[in-house]
Amino acid sequence: MSVDPIALELFRHAVFAIADEMALTLVRTTYSGVLKDNMDFSTALADSEGRLVAQGLTLPGHLGSIPTALETVVRRFGESLAAGDVIIMNDPFDGGMHLPDIFIFKPLFAEGRRVAFAATVCHHTDVGGRVAGSNASDSTEIYQEGLRIPPLKLYDRGLRNDTLLALIDKNVRLPVRVQGDLRAQLAACHIAERQFAALIARHGPAWVVAAMAGVIDYAEQLTRAALRALPDGEVSFEDWIDDDGIDRDRPIRLFVTLRKRGDGLTADWSGSAPQVKGAINSTLSWTKAATYTAVRSVLPPGIPNNEGVFRAIQVSAPFGTIANAVLPAACAARGLTGFRMVDCCFGALAQLVPDRVFAASDGGNTGVSIGGYHPDRSPFIYVDFTCGTWGGRPWADGLDGNANIFANMASQSVEVTEAEHPLEILAYEFVPDRSGPGKFRGGTPYRRDYRFLAEEGVLQVRADRQRIRPYGLYGGWPGQPSANHLNPNGADGGRCLPSKVTMTIRRGDVFRHEVAGAGGWGDPLERAPAQVARDVRNGMISAALARRAHGVVLDAAGTAADEAATATLRAQLRSRRREPLPTVSWHEPEGEHTQS
Amino acid sequence: MRTGIGIDIGGTFTDLVLRTGAGRVLIRKVPSSVPNYGRAILSGLAELLAEAALPAAALAEVRHGTTVASNAILERKVARTGLIATEGFRDILEIRNLRMPRLYDLTWEKPPPLIERCLRLTVPERIAVDGTVRTPLARAAAEPAVRALLAEGIEALAVSLINAFANPAHERLIQEIVAAMAPDLPCSISYDVLPEIKEYERTATTVVNACLLPVVARYIADLETGLAGAGVAAPLLLIQSNGGLTTAAAARRKPVTIIESGPAAGVAGAQRFGRASGLADLVTFDMGGTTAKASLIEDGEVLRAEEFQVGAGIVAGSRLLTGAGYLVRMPAIDIAEVGAGGGSVVWIDPGGALRVGPHSMGADPGPLCYARGGTEPTVTDAALLLGYINPHALAGGAVRLDPTAAMAGFTRRIGGPLGLAPEAAAYGTMQIAAATMIRAIRAVSVERGRDARTFVLFAFGGNGPVFAAAVAAELGMRRTVVPPAAGLFSSFGLLLTDLQHDYARTFRRVLAQAEPAEIETAWEELAAAGRAQLEEDGVPEARRRIVRTASLHYQGQTHELTVPVPPGPLDRPALAVLAEAFGAEHTRVYGHRAGPEEPVELVTIRASAHALPEDDIGWPAPPASATVHESVRRAYFGPDRGWLDTAIIGRAALTGGRAGPCIVEEYDATCVVPPGARAALGPFSSIVIDLP
Repeated sequence: MSVDPIALELFRHAVFAIADEMALTLVRTTYSGVLKDNMDFSTALADSEGRLVAQGLTLPGHLGSIPTALETVVRRFGESLAAGDVIIMNDPFDGGMHLPDIFIFKPLFAEGRRVAFAATVCHHTDVGGRVAGSNASDSTEIYQEGLRIPPLKLYDRGLRNDTLLALIDKNVRLPVRVQGDLRAQLAACHIAERQFAALIARHGPAWVVAAMAGVIDYAEQLTRAALRALPDGEVSFEDWIDDDGIDRDRPIRLFVTLRKRGDGLTADWSGSAPQVKGAINSTLSWTKAATYTAVRSVLPPGIPNNEGVFRAIQVSAPFGTIANAVLPAACAARGLTGFRMVDCCFGALAQLVPDRVFAASDGGNTGVSIGGYHPDRSPFIYVDFTCGTWGGRPWADGLDGNANIFANMASQSVEVTEAEHPLEILAYEFVPDRSGPGKFRGGTPYRRDYRFLAEEGVLQVRADRQRIRPYGLYGGWPGQPSANHLNPNGADGGRCLPSKVTMTIRRGDVFRHEVAGAGGWGDPLERAPAQVARDVRNGMISAALARRAHGVVLDAAGTAADEAATATLRAQLRSRRREPLPTVSWHEPEGEHTQS
Repeated sequence: MRTGIGIDIGGTFTDLVLRTGAGRVLIRKVPSSVPNYGRAILSGLAELLAEAALPAAALAEVRHGTTVASNAILERKVARTGLIATEGFRDILEIRNLRMPRLYDLTWEKPPPLIERCLRLTVPERIAVDGTVRTPLARAAAEPAVRALLAEGIEALAVSLINAFANPAHERLIQEIVAAMAPDLPCSISYDVLPEIKEYERTATTVVNACLLPVVARYIADLETGLAGAGVAAPLLLIQSNGGLTTAAAARRKPVTIIESGPAAGVAGAQRFGRASGLADLVTFDMGGTTAKASLIEDGEVLRAEEFQVGAGIVAGSRLLTGAGYLVRMPAIDIAEVGAGGGSVVWIDPGGALRVGPHSMGADPGPLCYARGGTEPTVTDAALLLGYINPHALAGGAVRLDPTAAMAGFTRRIGGPLGLAPEAAAYGTMQIAAATMIRAIRAVSVERGRDARTFVLFAFGGNGPVFAAAVAAELGMRRTVVPPAAGLFSSFGLLLTDLQHDYARTFRRVLAQAEPAEIETAWEELAAAGRAQLEEDGVPEARRRIVRTASLHYQGQTHELTVPVPPGPLDRPALAVLAEAFGAEHTRVYGHRAGPEEPVELVTIRASAHALPEDDIGWPAPPASATVHESVRRAYFGPDRGWLDTAIIGRAALTGGRAGPCIVEEYDATCVVPPGARAALGPFSSIVIDLP
């Protein structure tokens, strides 16, 4: 059955509207702020075999997760799926990602045949395990991380599985929230079912099935056309995660090889480190999402999120590595690894399409959680994810204070935090001289200072890029590392903490996190002097760094560049260079010192 | 009935609607005069008064909708403004909430902050979240910051300190210092603009207000001078984003309230039109040259949004992605907008799909058929090619359209590559444009948990009635209403609205443990401010009404629901009623509620001060439409029906009802009644289209 181009465009509007309406239903009906503020959920419509047709616009990190999970569902239940069934699952080693991400699927039927799936995945507030929030980065096996749910029927032909629900209830810390969010997921699936039934009633099942295939083909054509326009080649890139928080002295290698030929691209993660003890192991679906995110970001906008994209971009990773972990790997905090795989992929792409890729961003969000008990034994738990710098770009500076490309999360209000938790935020502002200089500089990081106001609590931090800095590209310098401090303003100057830490804190303690500065792009000596002067005027960099990195000398008022002095200094600095500028920089050029 | 005039300024046209004391209505569309908007207003006004044979002194009021504030932000032509913040929090304005409106897009640029960092200074002070002073602000510590900003030549100042919503003492001190050091400097403190929790929202809104202060003051002064020069003695009223009117004096103090002035008037007018004609549930659909806008009126009330983004341009598609513009947290009519209008470009993407918008040719050079240098086929070209619009009748014949240019463009650019006849390509264009517009309607209906099929579609704007019936059919809506003067209904709506001022304040208390008298006192302060404003506006006591609402959540939730507050004194039983009202709303919106053990927390108290309409306002008679010579034109209605002979008629010819296809042509708009539909005259000369 053929579908004409106008009918296909109308159908595309309709199916993507369904996916977006599912997402909005979730936002509207969810109970927890994690979903509303962090958009840590996704919705989709898939065909009868679980191939993605339309995904709602929410979290890039989830692209690819739904088909992986549905593949397991179809394999497990196959033809025994019936109208009125609802499937629930979260097991990373059975199609899931990490335990807090609970998938809910509803098969959709027409004339007795399965024609589609409505799909949702949400990050839940808590799924049990040894640490509240089920997000600990220092677990060492999945059995510590919470309740594992293999693909099971939550509804069997419309009949609710109360046994399963009761079991979930007893294994999570905040059952009211988990149940509320599960209901929101079900509501989203019901919306999809209703809208999809209207499409079937209007066009008939055979036409709808053909049109779903058409929408996938369309995305594939767009992706392949875009890939064809890129140069062919094989590129690879190596980057390192500081450590897994358990083996503190052991950096973890990420390695990817991209092969682009004609209208297809493969990404191979062979060469990446074996899986680790700490909870930062990634499933293949997460690795795929990271890869798609980087590759899609160099393709033109507007390509629909579906199977057609995956057909043109193949992703593989060997079993037992950090990019495709196997039982009993802990993986709750694998978010970090995803962010860093995006960086790694961009590093490879920068060699293939130098004019389209930015230098390294801050390395993804830092998770800070502070928990404990009030005197009346009621618990408090504060969880914050924070990030904010983009690498310098071949055409513009990196962004200051913007969500990472991999997760479009919102920040939390200082005042609301103070109203609801025993915390006072002492500072939330840019830190000068931390971004990587370049023709286009990296994004400027900020710091957040938290003062603890309760008697005693547990601080847990999952950060990175403390030792292995965000790289600069094509002559741009790397960004300054992230930092964790305890009591930085104390009489003794406090102390530095490692990137990943779990520790007890007491009343009055101040924890400071500084996001990593992003890497710069291009030769810092080519940066427009007016731009440098503006950064100095705005306190984003010091006059000293303007001289040292950019060769810019300010006039007496300190507000504009002194052109003659700048030209002289730049000539001097250039003449001292002994080697051509590196493509990738992990350190300042020789003879330069890190300034903190 | 008072003699009044409604004036709505758009990018292309300025629309004027005059209502005489005798209830006559006269309309006029004149080209906007950019950037001196006053000129077009005064010339249009003079023409209308002449036509009505009235002296300027006969006008009792001038009601005005303007895009001056939103344009100033969009073009960043705002005052050079300084910001004073709390030490450690210099960058709240620039860090925003981190979120971006686009995914997978490395070219995304954050809108540059309205105040550059060098004009953002901090002072050592700190107030705790409960309002107690942790670090007192010394006058000597604040003065240097004010002095430094004055030395930078600022034209306005914003002050937004952490937790100032709970205690304005430090902001007031800075205000005093400014008053002493620079008495003429316009200054906004966050407690006066938005005394609500969340530092980014409060700071962003205060900054937008401050940097508009000089812009709007100048605009209003110029306009008032012009009006006075023309002999108009009537007061100037402006419409706010919330759909209510405000006085020129109040708008000058709080310009942030009039940002979404333009689109609000049409929706407010639709609401009043609906109330007068017994239509309580409406979806409004307003389509012009570049965008289509939708909003919802349920049970006679407009759906409100608590915040919106200004200066974002059009971001087609999802409302899930925000951050494209500048955040303003102020009550506004909830309007969804998509980039589909008459000027939207029709194109084929690399995947071979036919696409419409969001890029627009605008009014200049405009569609191909304007023959003014347009290079891309547009929606208007499609409508012309299909016979929906008259090549000789746009704006009363002022603009001539060239059908051959439209035909050639569609044949070569769209039909050829897709292997379609030009009319099929044009018809597909109309369907896809309708699908885009439908996303705006769904955004305010289905996505808000409302079933669009139980609403009536209320269509206006120059292009709204062309598409209305097709859009209604696609959504399963049975009835469409096209009001009189549909093409300039926003100005018409201005004549139907009333004064309204909104007040809100964060007041966090767990209801079960709250002291009712304390809450009552806080609320009374808001109500008193409202009454004082209405008094200043000259509204007699008998016509003042205060409506109280409360935003609440279960403790720990991050989002609130707003419910009405029971009338009468706020005692303990009243608080219990409030808690119950919240629980019921939670069930309605989320489908469930928590048990009685979950504490309900009051977050924001709100009060709206309304001026009730005067009893004798009556309903203005519709403008007399020019006589249309009935004729017949060929129009295309899809592959099944093909080209049909279609009657071209005036509105009056609908008396007694008429079956489609027919096309109602008027001075300001064209209404297409497709085959299968039936059109008739409804209340106040509206066109009522019923679908089978």
